[in-house]
Amino acid sequence: MNTDQHGYKSILLRHETILFVVLAVEWIFFDAVGHNFGTYDNTCDILRHSCEIGLLALAMTPVILTGGIDLSVGSLLGLCAILFGKFWRDAGMPLPLAAACTIGVGALAGGLNASLIAWLRLPPLIVTLGTFSLFRGLAEAITHGVDTFTDFPASFLFLGQERWLGIPAQALVFIAAVIFFWLLVHRTTFGRSFRAIGFSPEGARYAGIPVGRRMAMVYVLAGIVSAIAAIIYTARLGQAKADAGTGYELFAITAVVLGGTSIFGGVGSVHGTLLGVAAIAVLHSGIAHALLPGEMAGMLTGVLLILALAGSTLPKMISGLRARKSTPRLAKQIP
Amino acid sequence: MKKYFREISVAAALGILLLALAVFAPSFFQPQPLLSLVTREAPTLVVACGMALVIICRQIDISVGSQFAVCSVCAGLFAAMHWPLVLVLAASVLIGAAFGAFNGALVAGLGLPSIVVTLATMVTWREGLRWLRQGVWVDLPNGVQWFGLPQMTGQWTLVLVALAILILLALALKHFAIGRFIYAVGSDAEAARLAGIRPRLMTFGVFVFMGALTGLAAMMNTIQSPQVDPNSGTGLELKTIAAVVVGGVAISGGRGKLWGVFAGLLLLACISPALTHLHVEAYWEKVIQGAIILLAVVTDGLRNRRKSI
Repeated sequence: MNTDQHGYKSILLRHETILFVVLAVEWIFFDAVGHNFGTYDNTCDILRHSCEIGLLALAMTPVILTGGIDLSVGSLLGLCAILFGKFWRDAGMPLPLAAACTIGVGALAGGLNASLIAWLRLPPLIVTLGTFSLFRGLAEAITHGVDTFTDFPASFLFLGQERWLGIPAQALVFIAAVIFFWLLVHRTTFGRSFRAIGFSPEGARYAGIPVGRRMAMVYVLAGIVSAIAAIIYTARLGQAKADAGTGYELFAITAVVLGGTSIFGGVGSVHGTLLGVAAIAVLHSGIAHALLPGEMAGMLTGVLLILALAGSTLPKMISGLRARKSTPRLAKQIP
Repeated sequence: MKKYFREISVAAALGILLLALAVFAPSFFQPQPLLSLVTREAPTLVVACGMALVIICRQIDISVGSQFAVCSVCAGLFAAMHWPLVLVLAASVLIGAAFGAFNGALVAGLGLPSIVVTLATMVTWREGLRWLRQGVWVDLPNGVQWFGLPQMTGQWTLVLVALAILILLALALKHFAIGRFIYAVGSDAEAARLAGIRPRLMTFGVFVFMGALTGLAAMMNTIQSPQVDPNSGTGLELKTIAAVVVGGVAISGGRGKLWGVFAGLLLLACISPALTHLHVEAYWEKVIQGAIILLAVVTDGLRNRRKSI
């Protein structure tokens, strides 16, 4: 993808490198200003709190790589969380079976998005806007908006609240997911085809890539990962409610775009997303530890997002102006 | 008929819903609750009109909810300082237009994708408002609610203002050159440029206009109650995008009619009260809304598929 970027200069100017520097600056700043920020306990805490959004962002990366978007992951997290509670408490399933069924539901829900987007060729933004409403609505309808699931056994809460070999238990799931998605996107032909589809679905079809199946795959994966995130969420908080994960889709998209993945598809990386998630998580935690108003974290995330975008566009614009003295065109819109 | 299939089918769905309500739950049509419902939705209609323009221009604006909240709170604060209401209205519209100009400058000037730009501004304005105001409600002085008019008159004023804006914009879109320009830019910005239209200026203008309409809508919302909720407008972006899409505006730009948007908004707005009157649990509202959005796009997809085969 980076054919024109060779040598140390281009590595220094790469999006991920800049983001890494931003992250390091954040860390050093908050370590100096905040109370107990750089401690091991707090690092674990940051990890614990960013697992669900991190998982969603990981799953969102291939989706955005293909030029799509999935607004429904947060709602699906809510639906899966309460279904998990329902399977366990009301259907009397043992927890592993309930978890497996929840993941099955996640795959089915992802399949709904996938079939509408890949086979009916509907715009992902609108389809997932519809399922965003649908999944959240189902969660509310099933629980009547008030029912919550609590009193999970301690062996299950271990997954969300305890440490195993010194690291938070859910971080292990997250690391496994990172490895899976990194291999998928960067070391398999699937990853290549996601990028090809993002660049040009038509071109990818002529190159012999099964565009429909590959696009279906990313949405089904997003559904499965949302279900896993739902189980971890339930284990961390010890309860499942219909409003679980509200707004998480926006955090996930922000992290992915901050990580250098183009919203039009075709360009991006899993390690970039990882850095994006880390930058946002450290910012939130750091601002809390520096006793600054919590709203600043959200504001700064927004500012950072615009700066990251402008930063990646300005050099291109300037070189374009130099080369052709023509005005840059409007970007093509709507994934 | 074929050309307006989407608009007609939405209008038909709305008609069937109203007919079903007339048969099974005539209590829905009591004038006072109905007027209240329409009044509540009047600001949303104004925002939805702006959103339709933005989407026809092949952009999107998901920051309207945050803009709406900031404008509402500002309007409330100015009103509490006993500014004349006309001035408050002007200030609210101007603040909205300034927000729109910010989005527009980033989208049209720098060529950044509108969905990400407005995602960022959505978070920034909302959190900024929370930071500065700490979620305090603004108390309005007497004489601000309903412009100091009797409630009935105030409600009718709002509804008529919203309808007037809808009709004016619908006519302008169809008959004014600038309206056709928006369709042209949305269909193909490059072709529009070759035809002598300035796509970036048009895009910037559409965002500014969207902001101004949001400011107006915020004012229309503020005067409905004695206090201003700092969290007003949450989810407004999705509500209006849903109405616009259900109303037959193509998300890929260049296609759509405002009266379709009007029907789409009414259809979505009627669901919640209709459920209450039909004695269905209100929790199903979001499920039905989502199903309507999916149904609307699926019919589109199936029709296009048949055409292409």
